[in-house]
Formats: sequence, structure tokens, C-alpha cells
Amino acid sequence: MFEKNRKEKWLILALLFVLALGALLLFWGWNAQAKDAKTKPIQIDEIHKKFLPIQSLKTNSGINIWLVEDHSLPIISVQFLFKGAGTYKDPENKQGLVRLLSNTMDEGAGGYNSQAFQKVLSDNSITLMFNAGRDDFGGSLVTLARHKAKAFDLLALALSAPRFDEEPVSRMRDANISRIQSSMSDPDWMAARLLNDKAFEGHPYAQNSGGTISSLQSITKEDLKLFHKNYLSQDNLLAAVSGDITADEAIKSMDAIFSSLPKTPVTTASVKSTDIKNQNSLFVFEKDIPQTFVEAIVPAFDDKDPDFYALQVMNYIYGGAGFGSRLMESAREKRGLTYGIYSSLLDMDGVDALSISTSTKNESAQEILTIIKDEMIKLSSQKVGQKELSDAKSYITGSMPLALKSTQDLASIALSLQSKGKPTDYLDYYEDKINAVTEDDVLRVAKRILNPEKMMVVLVGKPAAIANAQKIEKLPNVE
Amino acid sequence: MKTRIVFAFFILYFSTLSPAIGSTFGAEEFTLDNGLQVVVIPNHRAPVVTHMLWVKAGGADNLPAQSGMAHYFEHLMFKGTKTMAPGDYSKTIKILGGNDNAFTGEDYTAFFESVSVANLPKVMAMEADRFQNLSPPPEHFSSEKSVVLEERRQRTENDPRALFMEQMDAAFFINHPYGTPVIGWMDEIKNYEWNDVKKYYDTWYAPNNMILVVSGDISAQELKPLTQKYYGGLARKNLPARIRPNIPDAQAITDLTLHHPQITQAQYYKLYLAPTEAKNRADSLALQVLVDILSGGPTSRLYKSLVVEQKKAITASLSYNANALDYGTLSIEGTPAQDITPQDLSQLFEEEVKKVITQGVSDAEVKESIQKLEDEAIFARDSLAGPAMIFGQAMATGSSVADIENWPQDIAKITPQDVARVAKTYLDENNPWVRAPINGYLLPAEKPQMQEDINHVRKE
Repeated sequence: MFEKNRKEKWLILALLFVLALGALLLFWGWNAQAKDAKTKPIQIDEIHKKFLPIQSLKTNSGINIWLVEDHSLPIISVQFLFKGAGTYKDPENKQGLVRLLSNTMDEGAGGYNSQAFQKVLSDNSITLMFNAGRDDFGGSLVTLARHKAKAFDLLALALSAPRFDEEPVSRMRDANISRIQSSMSDPDWMAARLLNDKAFEGHPYAQNSGGTISSLQSITKEDLKLFHKNYLSQDNLLAAVSGDITADEAIKSMDAIFSSLPKTPVTTASVKSTDIKNQNSLFVFEKDIPQTFVEAIVPAFDDKDPDFYALQVMNYIYGGAGFGSRLMESAREKRGLTYGIYSSLLDMDGVDALSISTSTKNESAQEILTIIKDEMIKLSSQKVGQKELSDAKSYITGSMPLALKSTQDLASIALSLQSKGKPTDYLDYYEDKINAVTEDDVLRVAKRILNPEKMMVVLVGKPAAIANAQKIEKLPNVE
Repeated sequence: MKTRIVFAFFILYFSTLSPAIGSTFGAEEFTLDNGLQVVVIPNHRAPVVTHMLWVKAGGADNLPAQSGMAHYFEHLMFKGTKTMAPGDYSKTIKILGGNDNAFTGEDYTAFFESVSVANLPKVMAMEADRFQNLSPPPEHFSSEKSVVLEERRQRTENDPRALFMEQMDAAFFINHPYGTPVIGWMDEIKNYEWNDVKKYYDTWYAPNNMILVVSGDISAQELKPLTQKYYGGLARKNLPARIRPNIPDAQAITDLTLHHPQITQAQYYKLYLAPTEAKNRADSLALQVLVDILSGGPTSRLYKSLVVEQKKAITASLSYNANALDYGTLSIEGTPAQDITPQDLSQLFEEEVKKVITQGVSDAEVKESIQKLEDEAIFARDSLAGPAMIFGQAMATGSSVADIENWPQDIAKITPQDVARVAKTYLDENNPWVRAPINGYLLPAEKPQMQEDINHVRKE
């Protein structure tokens, strides 16, 4: 009953997608800059009883922890990340290294081999996962309060003494190779692969973060050990805790977990910046399938720009909203060309962009590209209506409480604020910032960002009659 | 939201609140006079609610040659009423700071909105409107058909795995509508007539055929007057019987093979017929424990044996769909390791299945599984929409509030003997329950060099 069932799985996925959309929108919102908020110092042990009461704590070893106490369920979540230890650090001939690290850090540690480690997690209903982002290496622990001591011990062990035994490393390598082979029948994945390759050409972001079939075979246990030793340190650690735990307990237990990490500063410079490459170009990877997948991207800017709030609002109106957005209205509601079309803001340490994705039958590929461009031109030449603007603000601010759904969400929100260098009370000011955006602001930002001549497009499928397309014969960084 | 539905506040409540407070979710239920069943699952973490209306009609209730009608109709529910323009439903929800959508299964269609609790009455007013006064402008019928065709292209036609699963279902469910995909067949989607669409709405969309589930920052006491005000006026209808024929005894094991040009990684599938939780709760709960022992994570039997120890598979799993009206399914899915064929993998799965049929499971395995499943019930509460999904899906397929609330206690009573018994009953392909299993082999296209090899041989 509590398990996913197969038949309705795609429907449930659709549901989750929609629910996640609102949360994502907020996530991007937190990247925004609050000028006046920034001048407020973060006060240790201050509890803001507002949107989200985050406590900023310091452990005995000097580790900063953000805590959101919530005793409504006997569940505790710990979320953490190591800044700058993401997949962009993969050497070119060892693409997939950081991904493989994330797959193997929970596969045996200390005196536990892989099966023993997984068994003790399972027997205590503890979920421990590591994940490899482009910029950062992250992890997440969820446990029932009654198993917290065990859960914290296991996390500490996984962080400080992972084994990287040959069996799990080769098992995870094989799983990744098989995943790449499976992805070759997934046009969505192929379009994303091509987009990264062309948009970030010459930059580590262009690499395949999941590895290539050959690069995965060259990654050794020593590579994993070395990366773990060099880049997972107290120095670049950020951590947040939420749920059924007090501040005293959090201070003690988080200190025990993270103080075993080395204090050596991570010396590498942060990722270098890049622009969107191949602007005003269109690439096609031909596949004999009935529908063409479309990925498009234009350069944008990040939260250091005073117009970042206007960008949030503009993106919502253009394609971020899903139903009700200009793209969805034009392509789906009026013309029935697609099941969905969305734009989203991409915020990475080295690049900022707005991307658009959709799919349509091969005969309509040109028509949907025209809609993407026409809606850009419309939004950057005419002011949005007053109602359209206030409706967008109303959703962005009004849906904030929907992000507080689970124990894990609370820690994730706290962690993402921390990661973006925001104060604990940042969300209390977010609504005002959004509400201050005017029609002129949106127009100004649209003129800056929604420029079809700066757009790079990739198509996967058998699109009919596309002008000026450059054909891609082979997907790069796959084999 | 302006609504034309005016109800008196003084309407008497014919049903009384039954505070059936269980230990798992603390759900409460009541029924309106017009037959609408209501379940409230309180969760006061944030001032928000998820409101879900479940209609007990889905893909399996479509008439012959009208496959996908339930799903197409679900799309039309967003296309306006006498007082609301197409698309305005979702736009209004967004203005209220909420999210909404809907989905269709074989046995049900569900509409959901997550909003702040203060905006719940507005959502309910709009919901009451479209459940009574739906009136999409005709030009939207054909554009929405195109949208559904694109949805099918995106999710099925473009995805060889989905395409193959659809064909497996079609071959597996003999004489039963579960063999027809919820989204419908391409040619039948193109041919819907408005009269049939209207008839579908008039037939199934009735309060006595619906369940309202609200989870979040609200109590039954607070919700009851709202439901009475907004949904009390929905007119009860005479519902037709749902035509769900039995699957006949079918002893032949079916094998299905597809060579597909887009496939580069072979895949193995197998489906067994199984009882539903509502129809045979004792067996279903024992099967849930069995499935956890075989496939509940990386230390379970299948993954441990096939992937970790023998290295013959990359993935190996068994899942159980218990929440269906007529029949459940047990589904095996495996990715063979390099140099292993899906046929080899099928034999390896069969060895594990034989082992559990002949030797059963240990006391320790059952004990550990029960503990895990009980814990899962606690984690299930840590969500806004999740509990509403669980109640809606279970109740729309015949389970009761008490069944859901008592699930952890009932799971705890399962014994190794129960697990061994259900393994024998449902997994023995030589003595199948009702319908023998079906094997599916999804393979890359025959390689062109094979043609060359043949030529080479001929030359010699």
C-alpha cells in the first residue's frame, strides 16, 4: 500500500513533477539577492519565528549547522554539501569520477563491507544517500528518531572511512555503463547531453557528469580515495538538520559526525565562469522516432544582479509557470502542439542561463521553435499586463508555504539558503522583493535575456524542414 | 472565485462525524447525503492542504473502441464551464498560490489541488462548478485531442520500454480491460465524438461515485460544513454496473519478444497475476512482505544473489501492484549483465522464485521486513499530498479507512507460513493462479553484421 505501483507510476511521477515545480520555483527564488537583508548579521542562536525558524548553531569544533526544529513527527533529516567538489572537477579522461564516488560512499565503511553496511541501514530504516551535483558534492540522511544514534554513527563512518572495496566499485561502474546504454533510447537524455556539450563547449560543464563508457572503466579505487581525501573537508562543508531534534542534541551529534573530516582547506579555485557558447546555432541529432525533443538555452544572470527578482517573475510569465505561461498557452492550449513546454532558470557557480524544453511531433518542430522565438520577442517588446504581473507575483509568493511539505524539505531549504550565502531570515523578505517588481522591470529584463539571436537550440528526432541546422552524427562523451 | 452555486448554510447534516481515529494517520471520515465519501487526514506542519477528488471510473471503464476516453475527459475538465473560460481553472489556482493537476488510472480519475488552507473554500467552489457545469467550447475538443496524441507520442511511442510494457499488458490481461492502455490507442483517440464524451461525464461524474480526500492543516469538523456547502448540492445519479469480466483460467506461459532499433541495453520483464489488497487482504499483505524480502533494497534476496554475488544482472527487482479493483500484478524487471541474455536472466530469476516456493522464508527475514514496513508507514506521514494519494488510491480500489489505518498492525501479524503459502500460490508458473505468467524480452535490433556473417557463410 505504501509502495509505488507499476501501472500508475507515470501518473504519480507526473503528480510529483507538478508538486516539485512550485518548490523549484522557490528554490530559484532563494538564489536571489536581498541587499538590505545581507547587511543584517547572522545571529547565533537567534530563532526567527517567521516563515521558517532557522537556528544558526556552532559546534565545539567550530562547524556551522543550521537547524529547523520540528517535532511533529519522530523523523530527523540531515542534509549537507561540500562546496566546489562537484562533477566539474572530473578529469576529462575520468568523467564520472564524482558520480562514482557518490555511488560508492555508502557501499561499505570502517568494519562494514558493502552488504553489511547496507544491511544495518536497512534494518534500522535509515536512508543515506550521496549525490554528485555539477558544482557541489552532497549527501542526505533521513532517520526515525529512535534510530538516530545508529544513523549518525553510520554517516560519520561513511564520511570518514569509506572502503571503496573492489566489488562495489566495479558493480557501481557496471551499473553506470548500463545506465548510459539504456539512456541511448531516451531522447530526453540525448537532448540534454547535446545541450551541455554545445552550450558549455570548452568548459568542464560540457563533460558527461555521469561518465562515458570508456572513462568509467579507467576510474580506480585510488582515484576515488584521492578525491575523497582532497575535496571532502570541514573547510568546504555546509550542513543543515531538521525534524525531531533539539539544538543541544544537534550541536553534539553534528560535531561527532563532521569533526572527523580533515580540516585541511580545499585549495582549488572555484569553477571558472563561462558564457553560453554556440549562440544563434541549431544542432540536430537525428533519430528515427515520432517526436522531436527540443532544448534551447539563452544566457541569463545570477542573484548578484539587482534584476534577479524581475528575472524570476519574467521566467514565470514566459514558461516557468507551466499552465498559464505564455509558452504553454501558445503551444499547447491554442495549437495542441505539445504535451508540455517549460522554461527554467539554470544557476550554476560558473554560468547562468534560461533554458526551454519541450517535445512535439516531427512535422511541428519548426512551428514550436517559431513560438519559442515569437514569445521572446513579444515579451521583450511589450510590457506585461498589470494583471498578468500581479498573478505571477501572487503565485510566487503565495505558494511559498507549499515548500514546507516534509522534514527533508525543511533541511533542504535551510541548506540551499546557506549555500547561496543568505541569512537565516532571508525568506521573510523574499515576498517584498518579488512584490516590488514592476512592468518596466520585467520589460527591461526581457530585453536583456529573451533574445532569439542569443539562443542555442538542440533537436533530437527526425524534425521536418528545419533551416540552418548543423547535423550531429555522434553524441559526444558517451562512448 | 465567483460561483453561481448558492447553498443554504442551514442544511442539516444527515451523516454524523465518525471520529475513527486510527494510530497511523489519524484520519476521519464522513459521508454526505448525496453519497460523497469524505476523508480528512490532519497534518498541521504548515497552513496548507491537498484537496483530492477521486472519481471511481478510469481507463478500464471505457466502452469498446473508446480507449483512453477517461483520460481525455480528465483533460477536458480543465477546459471551462458555463462561467469559466478554458484554462482559467488552473490559472485561478495559481493566483491563489496553489498547484493543481489530475491523473487517470485504470480504475479511477483524480483531481488535486494544493493550496493554503485559507483558500480551500475558493478551490471547492470551482471544483463544484466543473463537476456540474462543464462546458468546453467545441474548438478545444480537437486541440486537446492533439495534446493527448502528443502526450502518447512523448510517453509511449518515443519510449521503446513503455511501448513494450503496453504490449505485455495487452497480451497478459486476457478478456479484461486492464490490457488496454489508460491513454488509449492512437487511432481510437483520434475518433472520439463529443456525444460519447458528454455521455461519459453524465454517467460517471456523480457524488455517489466519488471520494474526497483532504490532507493537511484542517480537521473533519472544519471541513464538514465546507463540503456540505459546496458539494452537498451535487446530484446523486444512478450508476451503471462496471463491466469487469473475469480473466479465464489460462495455463499457457506467454513469451513476448521485441527487437527495437532504439534499444541498446536489453531488458527482461515478467508479469504474474496476483490478488488485490481489497479482495484478498490476507494474501495481499503476505505478498507485500514476500516482495520486501525478495526485492526491498540492496540486501534483499534478488539484488544480493543476481547482482552482488552472481554478477549476472545490473538490476533485479520485483514489485507488487496491490491497489487495483480487479487484479493485482507482481512484476519482475531485470537488466542483464554484459554477455548475459535476458533469457539467461529469466532462468536465474526462476531459480530464486523456485527457492522461495520450495524452501519458504526464515523467521528473521519476516521479522526484519515487518519492522521495515511498519517504519515506512511512519515515513508515509511525512508529506502533504502523499497520505491523500495513499487513501485515495486504496479507497478507490475497494479498501476502507480502517484497512489503511490498521495496515501496520495487520502487516505485523504475517508469519513465515503465510509468506511461503502465497509464494506457492502466486509465483509457481507450473501451477499458476488463474493466468500463467508472461515473459518479456526487449532486445536491440538484429545487428546488421549478422547479415554480413550470413553472406560470408554463404560465400564459403
